Amino acid sequence: MKFVELMSPTPYGSLLDSLRGIRWPAARRVAGATLGAHPSRLRGNSSEFSEFRPYRQGDDPRRIDWRLLARSDRAYVRLTTDRATLRTHVLVDASASMAFPQPQLTKWRRACEVAVGLSAVAHAEGDPIGLTVVTEPPVVLAARARRSVIVEMIRALDAVTPAGSAPLAPLLASARAQRIAVVTDLLGDADQLLAGARLRIAAGDEVTVVHLVAGEELDPPGDALLAVDPEQPALRRTLDAATRSDYVRRFSAWLAGTADAYRAAGVRYVRADVSEPATKLVRRIVSGVPARAG
Amino acid sequence: MTFLAPWALAVGALAAAGAILLHLVARQRPAAVLLPTARFIADRRSLVSTVVRRPRDLVLLALRVVTLLAAAAAFARPVLAPTRSPIARVVLLDRSAAVASPADAVSRVRTLLDAAAPMRLIAFDSTAVALPFTTATLDSIAGAPVAGGVGSITAALVAARRAAALLAAHADSVQVVLVSPVVASEVDDATSLVRAQWPGALSLVRVAARIDSTSSWSLERAIPIDDPRGPAASALRVAAGRRAVRVRTSSLDAPDSAFARGGGTVVEWNESSAGPMAPAALVVGDDVVVAMLGRSLLPAGGRTVARWANGSAAAREILIGYGCIRTVAVGLPTTGDLPLRHSFQRAVRGLLAPCGSGSSGVLADAATVARLRGSGPMARGSALATGGDRPTPLVPWLLALAAVSALAELFVRARPAPEAA
Repeated sequence: MKFVELMSPTPYGSLLDSLRGIRWPAARRVAGATLGAHPSRLRGNSSEFSEFRPYRQGDDPRRIDWRLLARSDRAYVRLTTDRATLRTHVLVDASASMAFPQPQLTKWRRACEVAVGLSAVAHAEGDPIGLTVVTEPPVVLAARARRSVIVEMIRALDAVTPAGSAPLAPLLASARAQRIAVVTDLLGDADQLLAGARLRIAAGDEVTVVHLVAGEELDPPGDALLAVDPEQPALRRTLDAATRSDYVRRFSAWLAGTADAYRAAGVRYVRADVSEPATKLVRRIVSGVPARAG
Repeated sequence: MTFLAPWALAVGALAAAGAILLHLVARQRPAAVLLPTARFIADRRSLVSTVVRRPRDLVLLALRVVTLLAAAAAFARPVLAPTRSPIARVVLLDRSAAVASPADAVSRVRTLLDAAAPMRLIAFDSTAVALPFTTATLDSIAGAPVAGGVGSITAALVAARRAAALLAAHADSVQVVLVSPVVASEVDDATSLVRAQWPGALSLVRVAARIDSTSSWSLERAIPIDDPRGPAASALRVAAGRRAVRVRTSSLDAPDSAFARGGGTVVEWNESSAGPMAPAALVVGDDVVVAMLGRSLLPAGGRTVARWANGSAAAREILIGYGCIRTVAVGLPTTGDLPLRHSFQRAVRGLLAPCGSGSSGVLADAATVARLRGSGPMARGSALATGGDRPTPLVPWLLALAAVSALAELFVRARPAPEAA
């Protein structure tokens, strides 16, 4: 029996097992100096040879390949590819809209599984992983690389019941990580979140937004119903045959517009149906990022 | 109770049925369901209609139905309409001196007595009196002495019109039965006008007129047989008395006036002022005399009892005291066979008849009787009724009920309805 299953109060074991060996490569070279699994912007003295470059004034003389100098009477510097860790932070939207559909709370459960899965994949590569559960007040776990961090994250997520309408954007701005994954339904402060993502991307960070959409939101039940916004109980609209088509059209347009806006901002935008298995979803998220060397 | 505007009831009933149908259609907000994407639904605030088997909001429905029906009943103008019978009857009983046998007239009236039909009895001579149409009333009339006045069918018809207006609300048709001999003296110039106001035919039950019996009155003195009036007067009884007929062929004097005031009849037939003889037609009742006759002027006033062919008066009578003075402006020829003609003799007897007999001794002519009888069906009750329906005191109460129900409906409707979860 695995350590995670022993320590976790929730059955994430099968998910973590199925994600074993999956990599979540960084989208670009990382600037970290700590030895990790992601290509680093730095080129130092690691054993992974990359290329020779003529010596230039200012280079460290210790990096001159003396054997090549002896053979060719020319001074070359030996370049190696360094690898570094990528500090990763996962923001999980725990607003009231995530508690849907009731009573299964499929959206929230899928969000937790995605957060744990992404964290596990990143943690397996040695990356420090942190978590922020965006609720009121927010639950923040600082990025760490120790083994128990996944269990702590699971406990933190299990302790939260989605409620309220806490904004994501401030916590996105304050997250101390180069890679940030936001698991949300974007029904809160989507515009502010997009603005914050633009700033993080401009600062060289990597932002991934996992947009969870429930099937009941795409295709509400056929009977007429009085739809109540869980984050704004005063917002009540009647959904019947007369308004259904208009709802579907507006919601589809919003989905398309949101995807376009986030992608245009450089955000890795992944829309996911909550009925999609978490393993498949995590694989799709991490594999969608093209690994760019050097 | 009936309604003057029943269409309002129909409208109210339709509205109430509509209200019930609307209550069978539950138009309400559907069950509330959490939907995070509710903001993408158009804000039409529409309600969902569903058909239910039992009306919802029974209290509200009851108030609305009561409001509608009460208002409709009020606007339908309910009135208390009496029970109608097919026919109502107004019997005009001639109590004038023209009736030969009052007992016979009363017995004729008894045959008209119908307990099922509303009836009015009007006894008339010169005036008309409405009496209850009962056997006791008829018995008392039969036993009472005749007043001896001149009958007036005009007064009877006026009284009949009033009585019929009251009876019309109780009957579909109103029949007027005139029990009278219909003598000429009972018909005057206003009779035809009053008769024209009656929208239907009259039933005439003619009884024997006193004129039919010459023994009922007498002349004070016999008229010589060589007088043109002699042959006609020879059939009349001669007996002096307070109520005899005094014939004067000269100007009247004070004793004549006293005689008339005492109840007698003075016939002033002075031929000295008559004009030259000329062909003329004299109409007395049904009798027409065409002969060479002279005319003279008549004093103004009085009742015309004989006319010339052109309509001008040939004889008039004026009531004075208990009797009357009749002036005859007809000059008679001294030669010829005129006195021997039956028509002339009847005309003379009519002109010599006492005023108190209710007639100048002549039955009304056939044309007058025909006009009096009229034609067509009986008068319709609706044509005679004048406000027979009485508005009920329910109307203000119905309106108040409607108003109270409407106010209660407002309060009940204002209550917050439990929201479906």
